[in-house]
Amino acid sequence: MQIGFWPTVRREILRMGSRRMYLLMTLVVPVSVILFFVGLLDPGLPLKVPTAVVDLDHSPMSRAITRNLNATELVDISQELESYSDAMASIRRGEIYGFFIIPANFERDAVAGKKPTLEYYNNLTYFVPGTLTFKGFKTVAVTTAAGMVKSKLASAGLPSELTDPLLQPMAVQDHPIGNPWMSYSIYLVPSFCFGTVALLIMLMTVFSITMEIKNGTSPDWLMTARGHMAVAVAGKFLPHFIVWSVVGQFLLALMFGWCHFPCGSIWAMVVAMELFIIGCQAMGLLFSSIVPNPRMALILAALCGILSFSFLGFSFPVQSMYGPIAIFSYAFPCRYMFLIYIFSALNAFPLWYSRIYFAALIAFPLVCSLLLWRLKKACLNPVYVP
Amino acid sequence: MKSTDSTYRRPRRGISGWFDAMARVFRREWSNIFSDLGVMLFFIALPLGYPIIYTLIYNPEVITDMPIAVVDLSRTADSRSLVQSISAAPSVEVYANCSNMAEAKDLFGQNKVFAIVEIPADYARSLGRGEQATVPVYMQMSLLLRYRTLLSTLTDLQLKVAGDVTSTRLATMGASALGLDGGLPVESHNNFIGDPTQGFASFVMPGVLILILQQSMVLGICMLAGTSRERRRRNGGIDPTQIQDVPVSAAIWGKTLCYFVLYIPLAIYVVRWLPEMFSLPHVGNPVDYALFLVPFLLGSAMFGQAVSGLCTERESGFLVVVFTSVVFLFLSGLTWPRYAMNGFWTWLGNLVPATWGVEGFIRINANGSTLGETTHPYLMLWILTAAYFIVSWAVARYSAASHTRRVKSDINVPA
Repeated sequence: MQIGFWPTVRREILRMGSRRMYLLMTLVVPVSVILFFVGLLDPGLPLKVPTAVVDLDHSPMSRAITRNLNATELVDISQELESYSDAMASIRRGEIYGFFIIPANFERDAVAGKKPTLEYYNNLTYFVPGTLTFKGFKTVAVTTAAGMVKSKLASAGLPSELTDPLLQPMAVQDHPIGNPWMSYSIYLVPSFCFGTVALLIMLMTVFSITMEIKNGTSPDWLMTARGHMAVAVAGKFLPHFIVWSVVGQFLLALMFGWCHFPCGSIWAMVVAMELFIIGCQAMGLLFSSIVPNPRMALILAALCGILSFSFLGFSFPVQSMYGPIAIFSYAFPCRYMFLIYIFSALNAFPLWYSRIYFAALIAFPLVCSLLLWRLKKACLNPVYVP
Repeated sequence: MKSTDSTYRRPRRGISGWFDAMARVFRREWSNIFSDLGVMLFFIALPLGYPIIYTLIYNPEVITDMPIAVVDLSRTADSRSLVQSISAAPSVEVYANCSNMAEAKDLFGQNKVFAIVEIPADYARSLGRGEQATVPVYMQMSLLLRYRTLLSTLTDLQLKVAGDVTSTRLATMGASALGLDGGLPVESHNNFIGDPTQGFASFVMPGVLILILQQSMVLGICMLAGTSRERRRRNGGIDPTQIQDVPVSAAIWGKTLCYFVLYIPLAIYVVRWLPEMFSLPHVGNPVDYALFLVPFLLGSAMFGQAVSGLCTERESGFLVVVFTSVVFLFLSGLTWPRYAMNGFWTWLGNLVPATWGVEGFIRINANGSTLGETTHPYLMLWILTAAYFIVSWAVARYSAASHTRRVKSDINVPA
């Protein structure tokens, strides 16, 4: 039997080829999940939210408001209802995500200066559509009021160049850097794809190591690597690393090449992706070293991998979480990958600002190797705990 | 192979025989669950502990004191009062008053601030001249929640400044007779329903709780099935811990009812007590969601048994099921609404019990819908229960047949 680094690599390639599980979980599943996120979020924003208008006035002015509502890209008036309770029932049936009420005698009161109130309701049970209806309704409500003031001022003889600054003396000019379209694709695809890839790498690394222990082949594995744990691990990881690199670079190509996400420095992303994959493999190694038993190590990897979607701050900021929870977010390579994406790709900042994140990614394999002696002990005496 | 007496018993015939078989499978499955620590971890520890950790992550609900940088190039009384108004808002905190944009950009790059408000040099002059003053705001777009929080704060600020300045301007123009001094002629008022505090945990958790119920059940079932397959491989195609010689349908229903009964207390804890513990929205009628959860739990148990056909090993179910949690969360329409999905994704989502479970439960829980108003998801859950029963039945029959074939071919092999 040949021993050394390359025979270990060869042994691992044969092991990977012997089970369909490896092909499924390292190529088919990650590529499908990546395509799922890219395809699902492709529209960018779920525009034309189904909503209703409750017009109790039935005047030319109220009909104009309804038309204005329908003209915005944010909402789609799919129902015209007759009362508040009808609209609430429609919300409860899940047919609409918000409704706009024009009160009775609206036009009369508005012209008479009695200040009628436009009420609108947004169902935040569904956050994204709820927020979009809020934005659409608010814009129409405010512009309706402003339009009335404008025509009043014009009728009083004020030139139109004076009326605009009068209505809005201070205008906030927002510059959403890198994502002016507020696209959910640019916002969610990178973070959730990185998270999924991290989860799968950790799981498969743990699986490939602990299965040796379960099947009792770990002494053979160590023997092929001349009894050096580091050589054994490196030889095992290399074929996996190559497959994951293909998946990772495919993801980057899809994001920046196909979908044209903003990208400051593609090379920073390419390098970061490779370091990220090594970091995730190192995490898998750490889990296997802590509990060298397939069930517990897989549970640990899965729990951390799934929870990391939450505590890595992809949707709710780490800075707003409780301190003892937020601290965990820095213990995962995915957090640094996410930050490198934000700073080097989305914000297009110089690499200097991402230096700490790159250093952290490099630190993962070094720190996670500290427990190798434990794994070696377990590999020499493989005990399977069901 | 004949097993021990407790496992093998002459089957009774007819309907009573079917129920008798089902009851025996139920009892056996119950003791199988409680004798396997790994399965209990999924069935009991996961639904008990996981929702608490998950809710604690999101429990701060809203973003407060988001650090931002202000670059005040105007340095006037007007600009200072604007900065004061900004820092008075609960959602933001002025982390630094920078003297120029380069300094602010550096803080931005160091991830210390998430937005820069630049007050231009002519800010006060524009206001004084009766022109429109523009205030550029640069925002980091890593999280849309931050963007949304900041934008709504700034919009309120814009309206506040308008209220302050417009009445003065109108008075100086001698136009106060128009009756516009008190602001706009039409007022507007918004109401948030379902999640009135606009909190993140309040929005996401009720849906996630349902998904946790389904996924923990599927994980446990897959582990049971994988372990059983391993035993069958070791024991010549027969798992000694399973009741033999019962109709496949009775075995499936016996197991399903076992998981269902086990999940009743867990479901009460997850959907009833957890929202109370963390003050999440819970305005639904308990009778409505209790009835709603019946087909959901049955459907999840059937779904789990259908999927468990893929698990050939104790641990492999894990790999198959874990990553689907993220996909199912998106398919349920909680984050990305289902009306915006294309036909294929909608169709795929329709096949997952959690999609309908989430949709129905959050409407009952947060919008106070009745069972009658969630008829569509309720019926879909019953249809899925029936459909996955048929799939599980076919899978069980197929795997039994393939085992028989394998055992026969083993016998035929000459020694």
